[in-house]
Amino acid sequence: MFDLIIKNITQRKLRTGLTVFGIALGIFAVIVMGGMSEHFNLTFDRSMSLTADKIRVLPEGGFGGGNLNDSKVREVKRVPGVSDAYGLLEAPLDPESLGMFGGDMVIGIPPEKQELAMKDTKLTEGRFLVTGDSYRAVLGSSVAREFNLKVGDELEVKSKRVARAGTITHTRNFTVVGILEYTGSFFDNAVQVPLDRAQKFFDRGDTVSLILAVPDPNADPEDLTKRIELNVEKVKAFSPAELRKQIEQSLVVFSLITISAAVLAAIIGGLSVMNTMLMSVSERTKEFGLMKALGAETRDILFMTMGEAALMGILGGILGIIGGGALVYYLNDYLASKGATLFTITPRLLLISIVFSTLLGVISGMYPAYRAAKMSPMEALRYE
Amino acid sequence: MNDEEPILRVRNLSKTYMQGKIPVHALSDVSFDVQKGEFLSIVGPSGSGKSTFLSMIGLLDKPTGGSVFIDGIEVTKASDGEAPIIRREKIGFVFQHFNLIPTLTALENVDIAMRFARVPKSRRRERAVELLTQMGLRDRMNHKPSELSGGEQQRVAIARAMANYPAIILADEPTGEVDTKTRDMIVSLLKELAEKGQTILIVTHDTAVSARTNRVITMRDGMIASDTKVVGGQ
Repeated sequence: MFDLIIKNITQRKLRTGLTVFGIALGIFAVIVMGGMSEHFNLTFDRSMSLTADKIRVLPEGGFGGGNLNDSKVREVKRVPGVSDAYGLLEAPLDPESLGMFGGDMVIGIPPEKQELAMKDTKLTEGRFLVTGDSYRAVLGSSVAREFNLKVGDELEVKSKRVARAGTITHTRNFTVVGILEYTGSFFDNAVQVPLDRAQKFFDRGDTVSLILAVPDPNADPEDLTKRIELNVEKVKAFSPAELRKQIEQSLVVFSLITISAAVLAAIIGGLSVMNTMLMSVSERTKEFGLMKALGAETRDILFMTMGEAALMGILGGILGIIGGGALVYYLNDYLASKGATLFTITPRLLLISIVFSTLLGVISGMYPAYRAAKMSPMEALRYE
Repeated sequence: MNDEEPILRVRNLSKTYMQGKIPVHALSDVSFDVQKGEFLSIVGPSGSGKSTFLSMIGLLDKPTGGSVFIDGIEVTKASDGEAPIIRREKIGFVFQHFNLIPTLTALENVDIAMRFARVPKSRRRERAVELLTQMGLRDRMNHKPSELSGGEQQRVAIARAMANYPAIILADEPTGEVDTKTRDMIVSLLKELAEKGQTILIVTHDTAVSARTNRVITMRDGMIASDTKVVGGQ
């Protein structure tokens, strides 16, 4: 029966081509939008896995709500159940050109904590920061690629300070001592420098942006989070689970918006399949009547007509995946030169796309198939 | 002709249509038997009920009364699920307008009847080639209907009707669309098949066709007006 299905859809090449193209456009949108959503989900997951064992301590009002100073780090460290704590200072690498998706970051970190903070992440070149390092930097893989830097090269970092007449931009070269392997997390877009140098260069005194607290192996992170808030004044602590929950909620909204737009595009493709199949069934009324007279069962006609619709869906899906994949590949390649990556095509996304396009074909083909299958053979044979 | 169980038994077959609120009796109490190998024609003026009658036997329409037995099976009692099975196993159709599928070749048009009967592919091809050869179309097997003459198309349709070894072939005006020379050739072909034991029932207007069958049933106003055996046929 499969050969008949192929014969039927190749018989009307232009119409089939346009219908397949309609589905392909829909799946193209699913791949591009879904790829973006998948990328953000994966980046979040990988970033979380690198910091999932630590409690984040922020100023009471969040990132913009004031500063934490070194004394707070000591206070957090003293809370029973905290085995270690250290502060991080975060600042944009180039405050004059903040990208749409955050851009590259400078992270000031105590040098002796860096290797611990990066868990099992390896270096493709050079070394981690060590105590005594001055204006030295360890680069994330995307930053190294963006600026085409190797160990021993210099990276220019800018800082903006508010002065009476406006802002003054300072620049300073940091020597690259190490380059991290690709992690798929936000660390790929980070330049890690010694905390004290970052505080000095960004003129931030002894303050940090956030504190990471490492719980004792026996401590319950949820309890410890509450204990930190009780013991240290004017801070807000987030357990890894709570942080995950908060970020996941905002990611779900983002995913819903992107995927809805893509699904809408795909449904329009589905309607074109239905239209084509209705026309095709109407044109072949006599043919279906004849098949029934020859002994075709309802399921034979259903299988044949729905098979045609499904095949158009699959073809559209494959074309959409190839088209969307190509665009994503070239966009990622282009964005990588700017230090960003925006899309990730996962096996899950591919599977969803092909299943979705097939289902779209099948569902759109159901009504036309039902009409074909339910035709009275005699009326169909009389149809002109 | 023989005294075995008739291959087709029609008993008190009736069909009434409603034309608005007025009942129209297309068939009234039609009864007769057909023996295996008979070459039978049904003739009558337009509206006499002969095509309606053919639709009832072919399970393309349901009667309002009476029964039809084909090869011992009461087909008028067949459910919607059983009807296609009976159609493909017991009945072969030949239509006036050939009704070949335009996108398929002659071979594929014969093959498709066997597909629905779930005949394995290798046997389907073998049988289709055998039938088309028998119809003198071996060289035209891979041609589409649009590339065949009317006579050739009707021969493909006859081969298709024969494909599943039906108990009876029902032919509705099979020569209505062809010239007289082709008509004679098609009737000869059907007659030859009947002589080999194939039961064939033709509905026709053409007396030149009915004259060559072994038995002629004349219908008028939905009833059998006469049932005549033609000794020898021509």
